[in-house]
Amino acid sequence: MQPRPVEAIAGFAAHLREHGLQVGIAEQQAMVHAALSVQAAESQRLRAGWRSIVCHGAAEWRKYPELFDGYWLPHRPKGNVRTSGATRPRRDLRQLVSDLHTALDAQTRVAGATDAALVLASGAESQPPAERAQGGASRSEPLAERNFSEWLPQDLGRLERIVEAIAQRLRRRLLRRLKNHAHGRRLDVRRTLRASLRTGGEPFFPAWRRPCRERPRLFVLVDVSRSMETYAQLFLRIARAFVGVLDARVFVFHTRLTEVTALLARDSGRVQEKINAVTAGFGGGTRIAASVADFVRGHGRRGLSRSARLLILSDGFDSDPPERLARELAHVKRRGARLYWLHPTRGAPQSEALAACRELIDGFAAVYNLDSLARVRELVE
Amino acid sequence: MNEQALREALRAAGYIADGGLVTTLWFAQALERALLIEGDAGVGKTAVAGALAAALGRRLIRLQCYEGLDLQQAAYEWNYARQLLAIRLHEHGGGVAESDLFTREYLLERPLLAALTSDAPVVLLIDEVDRADEAFEAYLLEALADWQITIPELGSIRARHVPHVVLTSNGTRELSDALRRRCLYYYLEYPTLEREVAIVRATVPDAAARLIEAAVAFVQNLRREDLQKTPGIAETLDWVRALHKLELKALPEDPETILRTLTCLLKTRDDRFQITPEEVRRLAESPLTGVAARG
Repeated sequence: MQPRPVEAIAGFAAHLREHGLQVGIAEQQAMVHAALSVQAAESQRLRAGWRSIVCHGAAEWRKYPELFDGYWLPHRPKGNVRTSGATRPRRDLRQLVSDLHTALDAQTRVAGATDAALVLASGAESQPPAERAQGGASRSEPLAERNFSEWLPQDLGRLERIVEAIAQRLRRRLLRRLKNHAHGRRLDVRRTLRASLRTGGEPFFPAWRRPCRERPRLFVLVDVSRSMETYAQLFLRIARAFVGVLDARVFVFHTRLTEVTALLARDSGRVQEKINAVTAGFGGGTRIAASVADFVRGHGRRGLSRSARLLILSDGFDSDPPERLARELAHVKRRGARLYWLHPTRGAPQSEALAACRELIDGFAAVYNLDSLARVRELVE
Repeated sequence: MNEQALREALRAAGYIADGGLVTTLWFAQALERALLIEGDAGVGKTAVAGALAAALGRRLIRLQCYEGLDLQQAAYEWNYARQLLAIRLHEHGGGVAESDLFTREYLLERPLLAALTSDAPVVLLIDEVDRADEAFEAYLLEALADWQITIPELGSIRARHVPHVVLTSNGTRELSDALRRRCLYYYLEYPTLEREVAIVRATVPDAAARLIEAAVAFVQNLRREDLQKTPGIAETLDWVRALHKLELKALPEDPETILRTLTCLLKTRDDRFQITPEEVRRLAESPLTGVAARG
């Protein structure tokens, strides 16, 4: 049986919602309005028209054509759109537009055109979302439990939220310097007087200042050695989130140390290629201690102070002598920076070098999935 | 104006739009909704508004957003100097009532208010809305949802004609869901080879067809390189104009010669460094594959 036109639109809206698009009542009403503003013969224009209504970002924009075709043109190949096993009623966009016009004509005899469209659209909301579990298989995936190595792009949003939560934990330092701020408590006499010139000397627009607060500087060292192969790419993804949220500086090391902040900051799909190129020349084992030394004396010479935090992402397997790592980390501590070590092993790390410098490290956490990364929040300050 | 007429009018205004964009512009007009356009820098987001104004024969009012943009620069401001002058003038004649000072006469209209109170319908371009702060974005919600602006001293001012609003964003900051949901959305991609050739032909009609095709193909290949600043349509136009001024009828064979003219396309030191004569030769010779899929 052919569903009522508004129900068909509601069904499409539910289909879009199932795939993560935010399609509420307002969007559905706009979809009905849009369908009413075209003739049945030109119903294909709705593909572009509805796209501009239901998409609110670039990711949804790219997903839409496949979702639209998968719903309205099911005989075409569907790509990777998830489909349920249930058989669907026949869908015909042209018929829908035509039915909608007929329904509107009937409604307009009793009410105004716009009201009728709203009535039509509000009826469209009533359809419940499709049952998710079918035949024992559920569509919801235990995202948080999934290992990093099985990550999908949609988890990146969650990663960013976790990193933001970590950023909030990092205590901001109060500085003596004052900064312009609309809700400050100290009067900026100079700016107030300057602003009063345009009101004939009457200080109508007081300008305020307040002391600055500064976030700690964050340095992230990521181990990209052979032993970290499975995790390195994903640790780099975490590092990238730190660059985006906290303006961190990121370095990769193997037997040498190289800064990759600029590569990570750019949203370029070839970042991984570049990092591979940077690290390609490296050979032999992992020289964590030498890399830390390199960092302390080179890149970190200026920034590594009391307000700095150093995050090392590594399994701790070092080909330098174990006591050397402790010596180098002691240098970091002497500068006053706080030191956190994230390792990918679920249990306690077996590395001898790490065992030797346990007391120098302020926080120590195993990070193997999103839940464990979320726990890092409790660690940092 | 129907969709076909709008497409023709846009073309006459010098903007060659693809089918989806014309449909979306038409829907924005039919549904009286603002249109948010996102896309990389240089794909012609701002030009859409200019072309739309020209196509519809309406005045274009532009509000350029920047960090720290406030109501006084965006919507309205009281003309304090004039108010003070009025107070001084009336000082000896018994003074002036407060209600006389807060009237439309003393109100300076800034782009948002000007667009709503204009006698004829206008096109309002709110450019780079992501640069403005969240407070301004929240203020926009009232203007875009109800087509009105509330001024505490005067009350709400409703739009005489609903303006055609185009917002553009470069994605430097994530816009709020509330704003996104009040707008129609369009993601503008780099043009396909055919469309870019048509754009260049329309803008630089004197240039040789062979030169235009080869230059556009080169730029399309260049866009697939990992550059810091990917060249936009304006850069392509600049480059073709430059090559045309050099009286070239086709792309020169010698990569060094091409490289010397690439100042029009490559805008950072890193990008200049990355594109070597060998790269230029490769880009000029490699066939175009998969570009159409991107556009």
